[in-house]
Amino acid sequence: MSDSVDSAKAKPVYQKWWHRWIRTPKELRAMGVVGINMRNARFLLPNNPRRLYTLVDNKLRTKKLAEEQGLSVPETYGVIRSPYDTRNLESLLSKRSAFVIKPARGSGGKGVLVIDGKEDGYYIKPSGSRFSGDEVRHHVSNILAGLFSLGGQRDVALIEYRVRPARILTDISYQGAPDIRLVMLHGYPVMAMLRAATRESDGRANLHQGALGIGIDIRSGRTVRAVHHGKPVTHHPDTGLELIGIQMPDWDRILEIAVTCQEMTGLGYLGVDLMVDQEIGPLMIEVNARPGLAIQMANGVGLLRRLEPVEKRHTLHPGEDLEQKIEFSKRTFGRD
Amino acid sequence: MSSRWKLVTAVLMLVLLGGGLAFYKSTKLGVPFWEGQRVDEWLVEARVSFLAVGKPVKARLSLPANGLDESAGQEAGSLGYHYHVDHDRGESTAIWSSEMRENGQALYFRVRFPLGSESGGGPIPPTGSIPVAEAPGLSGSVGEAARNIVARSKAISSDADSLFVTFFRQIENAAPSQEMVLINRAYEKEYHDDAPIKIGIDLLALAGVPARVAYGVKLDDRERETAQGPLPLVEYFDGANWKVRDPLAPTDVLDGSKVFVWHRGGGPLLDVTGGENSRVSFTVVKDRIPLARLTDLQNSPILVSTILGLPASERAVFRYIVLIPLGAFVVVLMRNIVGIPTLGTFMPVLLALALLEMPVGPGLVMFAILVAAGLWCRFLLSRLNLLVVPRVAACVVIVTLLMMYMTVLSHRIGVGIAVEIMLFPMIIIAWTIERMSLIWEEEGKRSAITQVGGSVLVAVLAYSFMCVSQIRYWAFYFPETLLILLAGILIIGRYTGYRISELFRFRSFTED
Repeated sequence: MSDSVDSAKAKPVYQKWWHRWIRTPKELRAMGVVGINMRNARFLLPNNPRRLYTLVDNKLRTKKLAEEQGLSVPETYGVIRSPYDTRNLESLLSKRSAFVIKPARGSGGKGVLVIDGKEDGYYIKPSGSRFSGDEVRHHVSNILAGLFSLGGQRDVALIEYRVRPARILTDISYQGAPDIRLVMLHGYPVMAMLRAATRESDGRANLHQGALGIGIDIRSGRTVRAVHHGKPVTHHPDTGLELIGIQMPDWDRILEIAVTCQEMTGLGYLGVDLMVDQEIGPLMIEVNARPGLAIQMANGVGLLRRLEPVEKRHTLHPGEDLEQKIEFSKRTFGRD
Repeated sequence: MSSRWKLVTAVLMLVLLGGGLAFYKSTKLGVPFWEGQRVDEWLVEARVSFLAVGKPVKARLSLPANGLDESAGQEAGSLGYHYHVDHDRGESTAIWSSEMRENGQALYFRVRFPLGSESGGGPIPPTGSIPVAEAPGLSGSVGEAARNIVARSKAISSDADSLFVTFFRQIENAAPSQEMVLINRAYEKEYHDDAPIKIGIDLLALAGVPARVAYGVKLDDRERETAQGPLPLVEYFDGANWKVRDPLAPTDVLDGSKVFVWHRGGGPLLDVTGGENSRVSFTVVKDRIPLARLTDLQNSPILVSTILGLPASERAVFRYIVLIPLGAFVVVLMRNIVGIPTLGTFMPVLLALALLEMPVGPGLVMFAILVAAGLWCRFLLSRLNLLVVPRVAACVVIVTLLMMYMTVLSHRIGVGIAVEIMLFPMIIIAWTIERMSLIWEEEGKRSAITQVGGSVLVAVLAYSFMCVSQIRYWAFYFPETLLILLAGILIIGRYTGYRISELFRFRSFTED
């Protein structure tokens, strides 16, 4: 008995019996974990004025802004604005073998239809299943009716370039394209993760649907840690590939794109989603004004540990430029 | 941190305003703060009994006039008698009349008045001319003795009040003077038990103070089973007003919590023609006032009276409206503190309101069946590739038919409750089905079931909260307490701690 007591003393973060079910608020606070209430009250509300949300809630506007800033975004093939336009859908798509249809106001990957190719007049999804022209048209009219948009308001459908992810990224994803999420405060990159699909998540990159969250070191752009359903893993559950130590291609460019996104939107606290195309390189996919909290699980670091130094830095050295911000983040949050 | 102070100020102001109004209402206006705790009132019942002698009967009972208006609650109980109340110069008389009657008769008159009312013995100005004392025709040694007492008393006391005190002190004195013994002996022959009062009145008259008999009722709940006779009191004129005092406690003003003056003005308390042996007795009971009778609030300032200022029929509308904030509060609590996912923010409140109208268990079963059946139809419809709005409309039609069919079916089986399920707001169900099927497709069935389950759970919690009768009572009779609820919501709005669900979510969180 006395032995176990001693060992508990020796290791301060000893697994307690209740850790199977919960963590106490005290423990979470000690690790700097940010909850939804704190994210909203302390970081979203004061830093993200309501009027700026429209810039990022509509992907058309975000893309336009990004192009003005010289950022690379997936090429837009066409925009379907009304049910009448759906008649032209066929001719619009005839030239393309691979494309993505997404709602301009969708969030969290809702309503995104990825087509990888054509075969016998059918469209082929990444999973290999077939989609008829009728079904594609139906999907578009659902988007137009606002089925996937925030608040159910009428929407427009975007048809754009299907990103061909860099080889190193497709390897660690089971179907579906992995994307990189960066969370920023006042333009300082705070935390990054790679979201990779699994068989369970069905090609989607949503962590709560079983996708992998892989933490990325801000300095090196190398993956450091991975979680599946909140639990640390080291290998992909489907492909068995090693997930730790993978170098993101063009990491410095990725950081620059993210910081530029912050500058162009003016949002204080935001998440930037990017994909790395094997030919074009990093592409900005979307900007999220309400980034989730799973990123801290993927990195094994409480967000507060990084948000607080940035808050301090921002008040002490306001108006730093892009290089200075990236330099600060790399220096402060980089791992050895 | 100025916004923090703003919040603290707003919360404090809301709590003070809400609490203050509620406090004012409960202490000053007498609206009980706790449900079931109601205001007490006295119920005094006068019972007139006599022996009818086979002639037309007419009974007149003088009624308490002072401080009692019609709304204070009077009722007469008397089978087969013609009854009316006669008002004459501020004095009211109940008059019962009937054709031939025989044997014992009993007539009742009930008066209710709230605890702590005036005794009814306070000073009132005389009606008509200023009354003048009529000297009693006392002669011989009794008259001599009386005049001696009056002369002595007048030497030490000047006004009517002090004369009243002096006389009744001497009358009730355990060791009376020789003159008083003489007078007493003479009066007792004639008036028996009423002798002391008669002596006092005659002595006052001799001293130039008009005085007469009044009758009161002892307000003593302990004697509720036994009837009491009228309590004789003395009413005298102090030069400006008539006042009633108890000769047994001449120095005190009548205490409204102990004595209620039933009759004053000098006329007869009871007058029965066509009957013999007439007498009146009183029964006193402490009773409860039903809240609905608390009419004071109707005339209060608009801020205080609120719902109670409305006619009863319009109040009913608010029965449910005041519950909506309670439901909203539960939703805020469950979402921001506990972290239960729900389908839409305030859908649980609407569901809870619907549950209030029906038995909960069967209501929830019905809801589950309707949603499940609707969901199945919705998936059938999705094969038709319909546009969104027509699809929701189709859903509404299907749900309507389902509801009708289930009602008919359960009626056949003999389960009556299904009829009440009709009150389930259809749009809520159709909308739930639509949202649920979307989440089902987009995020998987687990997510869909979690969210609908969460909504139902929150709805049931909100429902149980709304069902606590004390809370409903506060919301309805003290709507200003909703300001305190608002303060609570404001505080939760600034809560930045972890949600309980996050303690589970981050349970495997480890630092590297």
